[in-house]
Amino acid sequence: MTFYLQLAVAGIAVGSVYALIAIGIVLIYKCSGVVNFAQGAFVMLGAYFTYALTRLGLAPVAAVLGAMLAMALVGMLTERLVLRPMMKAPVVAIMAVTLGILILTRAVCLAIWGPDQIAFPKLFPDGAVNIFDVFITYNYLAAALLSVCLSLAFLAFYQFTAIGLKQRCAADNTRAALAIGIHTGNQNSLAWSMSAALAGLGGTLLATLNGLSLGLSDIGLVAFPVIVLGGLTSLSGAVVAGLLLGVLQAFTDGILTPWFETFLRAYTRIYSAGALQQVVPYMILVFVLLVRPQGIFGRRGTERL
Amino acid sequence: MALRVRDLSLRFGGVLAVDSMSIDVAPGEIVGLIGPNGAGKTTFINCVSGNYRADAGATEWHGESLFGKRPHEIIRRGVVRTFQNVASLHDLTVLDVVKLGAMMATDVGLGERLSAMLRSEQARNALLTETILRPLRLADVADHPLQSLSYGLRKAVDLARALAAHPRLLLLDEPVAGLTSQEGAVMSQAIRDARDRLGCSVVMVEHKMDVVNATCDRIVVMAAGAKIFEGTAAQVQVDPEVRRVYLGEP
Repeated sequence: MTFYLQLAVAGIAVGSVYALIAIGIVLIYKCSGVVNFAQGAFVMLGAYFTYALTRLGLAPVAAVLGAMLAMALVGMLTERLVLRPMMKAPVVAIMAVTLGILILTRAVCLAIWGPDQIAFPKLFPDGAVNIFDVFITYNYLAAALLSVCLSLAFLAFYQFTAIGLKQRCAADNTRAALAIGIHTGNQNSLAWSMSAALAGLGGTLLATLNGLSLGLSDIGLVAFPVIVLGGLTSLSGAVVAGLLLGVLQAFTDGILTPWFETFLRAYTRIYSAGALQQVVPYMILVFVLLVRPQGIFGRRGTERL
Repeated sequence: MALRVRDLSLRFGGVLAVDSMSIDVAPGEIVGLIGPNGAGKTTFINCVSGNYRADAGATEWHGESLFGKRPHEIIRRGVVRTFQNVASLHDLTVLDVVKLGAMMATDVGLGERLSAMLRSEQARNALLTETILRPLRLADVADHPLQSLSYGLRKAVDLARALAAHPRLLLLDEPVAGLTSQEGAVMSQAIRDARDRLGCSVVMVEHKMDVVNATCDRIVVMAAGAKIFEGTAAQVQVDPEVRRVYLGEP
């Protein structure tokens, strides 16, 4: 039993970081209608920024906050310099450009920090807490708490504040928002900068768990099954789906993979099953698209003919 | 004059949608803008409110030019409009929409702003519900999603949003069209009340002549993008040019 709890805790910790990153994608999609493939780049860049700032001698807290601020700036610049000039371009073209941003960012990071995995500075103390025989390292605990709190804080901001209301209106119907006097361009910039800042923090937290490398940007791809599962337009759906996926991955890694490998070794000459947990998100993606394309919380699209 | 529009023109390709329109609106005056379909009434409103950019002309609001300014800049100067076709919003409630309107109000003093900040969210919502929604008979649906309301109620919400923005000039695009006569009566009463209470000017595009005659101080008639007549309700009814445009008399 303890083993299962242990897996669940690890899954929730990673899943909450997924949620944080997925919120950013949903936010951008709602506001500008663009599926942002560059989210993975924001995740990776945020982690590298934190790393660079600690190397400059900043305290961990200051480094994380500084990285988030820098990411907000990156997000805003992306919107201003890349998205806004393309406002009238087809959405597919804009999505291709975000893919370009991902490739460009990876190349820049490769040039600056090299291809090797970097030992990420310690942001949280070593050690673990023991709750009912379930050991949770401070890294996992901090990642889970920070992401959950920030996700909830963000949802509350979006739902209950004046700026959140403008954001919701702009996301709901951009033309209507423009017509009733909301500066939708600024709302768009805000959405991109908030989204990039959240992604940057998510990247930093993932780097404390798994180390820092260019591979961190692949998380942007894992986030897509999350938002498809949650429903592309639902922020709370992204949170629920993120947690769900994290837990599923942990259980796959802890239970399904060993079981499957035993099976393979007994009946075939294959020795290892590889990283099954990396396949799970995409299996879910295919399954959800077949069974419930609008996701758990999404709204079914209707079109007047 | 509060609003002075001079020689405003807008061309869509080969169509001269607005043709040298000039109009003056005095403070506290309700001006009706009528004309056959396609006369350019809505386009004219769109130009004044910044939704369209006119090709030529001048728009002055209390001496300041509004020409070429964008909707969010114009609304900040107290020039607020409603729409003929109310927008579809899926996630927002009636109260949300009215709050969005209230955010556009810029004439609120610092003291009032501070006291509003000290008030709780509930108190602010209750105030908006009582002052804005109640007179338009929307208080009971304040928490309903906009999309769930009837067309008539959604038009009332659009007016409520505009009123919440503390308008000094209300541009109303067919506020009564498509409504039942009862809903229409509530709307036209609300428009007159808003003028009396806020002292704002109103420019109102409308086809229902009984409403226009009962509500407006002055009527401007448009046809083919240009102003063809202006005067009181009684003068409009007997003007031969207006009769010709509307009824097709030789």
